[in-house]
Amino acid sequence: MAGRIVVLGEHRDGRLKKISWEAVGLGRRLSAELGKDLRLALVGSEITDLAQEVSRRSGLEVVVLANDHCRRYTPEAWCEVLAEFARRDNPYLFLLGHTYQTMDFAPKLATLLDRGLIPNCVDCRCTGGQLLWVRQVFNGKLNLEVSPKGEPPYLVSLQQGAFPASEEDLSVSPRVEHRQVGMAEGVLRRKLLEVMEAVQTRVDLSQAEIIVAGGRGLGSKEKFQLILDLASALGAGVAASRPVTDGGWLPKEHQIGSSGQTVTPRLYIACGISGAIQHLVGMSNSGCIVAINKDPYAPIFQVADYGIVGDVFEVVPKLIEIAREMRP
Amino acid sequence: MRILTCLKQVPERDSRYKLSPDGSRVLEEDLVFETNESDLHALEEALRLKEKFGGEVAALSLGPDRVSKVLRNALAMGADRAIHLKGAEFERGDAWSTARAIAAATATEDFDLVLTGVQSEDMAFAQTGAVLSQFLAWPCATIVLEIAFEADTRKVQVKRELESNVFERVELPLPAVLTIQSGSHPIRYATLRGIMQAKKKEYRVVTAADLGLSAGTVGEMAAKVKHHRLLAPERKKQTVMIEGGAEEAARTLMDKLVNEIGVL
Repeated sequence: MAGRIVVLGEHRDGRLKKISWEAVGLGRRLSAELGKDLRLALVGSEITDLAQEVSRRSGLEVVVLANDHCRRYTPEAWCEVLAEFARRDNPYLFLLGHTYQTMDFAPKLATLLDRGLIPNCVDCRCTGGQLLWVRQVFNGKLNLEVSPKGEPPYLVSLQQGAFPASEEDLSVSPRVEHRQVGMAEGVLRRKLLEVMEAVQTRVDLSQAEIIVAGGRGLGSKEKFQLILDLASALGAGVAASRPVTDGGWLPKEHQIGSSGQTVTPRLYIACGISGAIQHLVGMSNSGCIVAINKDPYAPIFQVADYGIVGDVFEVVPKLIEIAREMRP
Repeated sequence: MRILTCLKQVPERDSRYKLSPDGSRVLEEDLVFETNESDLHALEEALRLKEKFGGEVAALSLGPDRVSKVLRNALAMGADRAIHLKGAEFERGDAWSTARAIAAATATEDFDLVLTGVQSEDMAFAQTGAVLSQFLAWPCATIVLEIAFEADTRKVQVKRELESNVFERVELPLPAVLTIQSGSHPIRYATLRGIMQAKKKEYRVVTAADLGLSAGTVGEMAAKVKHHRLLAPERKKQTVMIEGGAEEAARTLMDKLVNEIGVL
């Protein structure tokens, strides 16, 4: 059997990230379809406990690629360790989560191996032993089917939430292979100085039952007042997509999405938000989603239960009026 | 400090796409193009560094004639010169082949820093900058919000965004590649004076032959990823589209939320 499927697990604070369990889920499926072994690899230092736990739970053999320089993440250390692993084990496929860490090192790793990275995939089809990957392109308005050229190993990163996570706890006795990996002199040039947690947020939208969110379509800080008014009329929390907080129309802590909060209210009303994937990952599991946008092809409508194609400056004032009639 | 900024031209955000009959590409006839937004953030940071520390900012783009709009705008915003990688050989590549072309174009230059956006809005590879850094054998930091330059040590300290309100500060020796995330500074507009001055600035067209790159080493032929076909995304939900004027649509929506769904 030529080459395994290897999930590159991403971990933080001694826990495997959810996206890595999603990669395990897809890995299991592809392992069955292609008849290839599945393993999970972790890079780090002193992560044996984590490796034992992941193996115990998943039933997979876990390889720990250890080096003292891998105590904290740097792209050069990760690339060095993983390139060595790839050359020695010659895997068929690396599965990664499409995270900020992956975006930082995986393109370098792929180039180092003279391969391409297929990023941010939302689907995978297996036809005649070949894998066809589906990616979102053109701001999420189209999908593109791609496949890697050339010989394995192939490198693919998966969009957060696109594949079901492997959640079953198998409670088997763990199989962990520990490998100490060398590091050439002078490889590490980028130095980590500090990790900063943003100040504890004063805005916790995770408990809000109703959220009104505004996006780029509002146009300015002054006009964003409309969103605050609708939220107040509905007794809702106020949220925003990235362009709003970047522009200083609303403080950063109101941002929903991959670099902000993840919310699941009963009702999410998205006004003037096109629905970039970075936003969708933070709100697409809401109970009921309403989208109001002038662009009928905006990807926000792909996840909406109700959609109004129209001008937020005409529709939202009417919603405020009606909501005020209902709640005097 | 000598800075190269790489800018990509992409269709406008509100574009409606029509596909070629075989689904292999979008038809460009009705599309309007603009500069990829995160690349403009990269240019903004480059111009700020130049204002503070002196030096020059070059703007580079790859693509057909229409790409000159991106470069003219960059010159009008304050870039000193433009490099246009032009020719069919360069086109329809992936991040790997595009980065390879850019690496070849910078080989005869002496840049301290290459800045580009985190990702493009059309192909969304989110990796051209990082791949480029590997070709150049320079250190790289992606998803950068702030750049501080230490002239004495020739190092940059940058603030990077990690997920969920976590950031890190890292230090890199120059030369280096940084990919810029939106959020630190608003993008400046070209002034009338800038537009006038842009006309006198150097605008260099570079072909694959100029760089000694044979067909097959860049562009679609050299790409590591094969593109098959484009298709409409599957809808995750059966969306009920509410028709009518603003008032009618608003009333229908509120009625559904209250009486059918019971969420209000």
